[in-house]
Amino acid sequence: MTQGPQSPSRSATGASVSVAGVSHAYGDVEVLHDVNFAVQPGELVALTGPSGSGKSTLLHLMGALDRPTQGRILVADVDVGELRRPAVFRRTSVGFVFQLHYLLPTLTVQQNVELPMAAARVPRHERAARARALLEEVGLWGRGRALPSELSGGERQRVALARALANQPPLILADEPTGSLDSAAADSVWRLLEDLRRRRGTTVVVASHDRSLIPHADRSLQLVEGRLSEVSAVQPRPCTAER
Amino acid sequence: MTGLTPTLSSLRHRPGRAVLTALGLALGIATIVALLAVSAGANQTAGKFVHLGRSDLGLFQKDAADPTTSVLPESLIAQLRRQRWVADAMGLQLLVEEVSRAPGAIVFGAPAGSFETSRMVFSAGRMFGGGDEIVLGDQLAPALHAHVGDLVRVGRRRMRVVGIYHLGVSEQDSGAFVPLSAAQALSGHAQEVTSIVVKLAPGVRPAAARRLIAARFPGLLVIDDPDEALRAGANGQLISNVTLVIVVLALLIGGISVMNTMLLSVIERRTEFALLSAVGWSGPQVANLVLTEGVIVSVLGAAAGIVLGSLGANLLIRALGAQAFVSPDISAWVLGRALLIGILIGVLGGLYPAWRAAHVSPARALAQQ
Repeated sequence: MTQGPQSPSRSATGASVSVAGVSHAYGDVEVLHDVNFAVQPGELVALTGPSGSGKSTLLHLMGALDRPTQGRILVADVDVGELRRPAVFRRTSVGFVFQLHYLLPTLTVQQNVELPMAAARVPRHERAARARALLEEVGLWGRGRALPSELSGGERQRVALARALANQPPLILADEPTGSLDSAAADSVWRLLEDLRRRRGTTVVVASHDRSLIPHADRSLQLVEGRLSEVSAVQPRPCTAER
Repeated sequence: MTGLTPTLSSLRHRPGRAVLTALGLALGIATIVALLAVSAGANQTAGKFVHLGRSDLGLFQKDAADPTTSVLPESLIAQLRRQRWVADAMGLQLLVEEVSRAPGAIVFGAPAGSFETSRMVFSAGRMFGGGDEIVLGDQLAPALHAHVGDLVRVGRRRMRVVGIYHLGVSEQDSGAFVPLSAAQALSGHAQEVTSIVVKLAPGVRPAAARRLIAARFPGLLVIDDPDEALRAGANGQLISNVTLVIVVLALLIGGISVMNTMLLSVIERRTEFALLSAVGWSGPQVANLVLTEGVIVSVLGAAAGIVLGSLGANLLIRALGAQAFVSPDISAWVLGRALLIGILIGVLGGLYPAWRAAHVSPARALAQQ
């Protein structure tokens, strides 16, 4: 896989994340105020808070989709606000899962999973093999030729998770990944995230307004009106990466 | 998945838009193909007029509307023959749309015994002698069901067929020859000819002769190269200029049409491009996606336009009333230029939408959903 010079080095235990004094504004409206926290490699952290509290913005900043107005975010010691080529960072170091999954409706399930690998110019045969393996990993073996419209909501979100894992990133950022799913499908996605953290040692940060999901995480952070108001350890779960 | 998969699947997903855009382009390209074919055909025809017989130069009146409307004084022939660098010269009077039942046939008025008529091979009869005699080309005679001894109407005169000849030049074999004096009477241009064809003395280069004629006989257009023959007719030049203008207009209008369609597509697919950006596609990769889509639509439009234009070229010649002496020339060069224009339209029209797609802010686009 192509890895840009600005990308954090790949690690079996995931990437560390350090958010220091981060503020962000859209025009005159400040949505994040001096946010500080750190995530250890391989941790599964829940970022909770009501709608509009700045969770998605914080994830976008951590994934180099935007630059903070103030402060620094380090992912595996790389300042993501100073990247010259953020696309290279996004394709190699981070995997996004969104609430609305954003699968391209005109592409098949397997082609959707291959998209990040196509960006990284992974050879075609390797892309196909890796996409099939990922679909098997998320329990969708044999559905590669289906279109997203032929899948249930939970299945689509699992495809989105497979797509996020396509380039084996050390950090997964999930924005309300279970927000539009029923409880059974939501449980299935959470199990996958926990399993991913346990087997691959990938660092996972999940934003959700639903505090009932906190027990799935190692630690929870609460954002209220753009400020970090509560940091709590849920339960000590040491990371045991199997890779 | 190949690099083209997202582009092709997007086109399949919106077939109506792709087909309508391609159709709009097809009409533009069809016009270009038809005009290029007519222009090339006119050039070819003019070229044949220049090289009637075994002449080296063709002389026409400057700024004539087309080669058939040139008018030169017959006295010029004698003056030319006196030049030591001229081996022979003869006048030709061309008549178009004068043969009843065969309006496409050209009637050549030429002196009997000239270097042009002496090349004729007769399959029946003989060369004309008197003023009311005509010889028919071996392609025209069967079309008129005419035989030696029959009467054929040319303009207001009835002329007797005295021979059927073969020259090996389609314009001449599908036409007829009459005495020069008869053609002058029919055209109302006594002591005048349409063109003078010149055979140069051995060792005289056409370029040198051109310079001598230009100096000695101002007001003449001298053509020695069939590729330049279009200059002999203002109509041909007009077609050539109109073609150029239409090519430029097609580039502009086609480019704007593709740009408009692609911009709509980019606005509709903003989330898609934001997602691609979020999963690591770089700006140039996203731009390439949009650009490829524009080029594919344009090439499809150009291909359809080439087919339509090839069919439409004959219709255009009829509409211009030029079927008597111009046949469309649909060559690989004409088709290649049309395809190139199609690709250019796709690239030009796709540039700005591609730039827009490459600069979609993923954070903003995804947050707005």
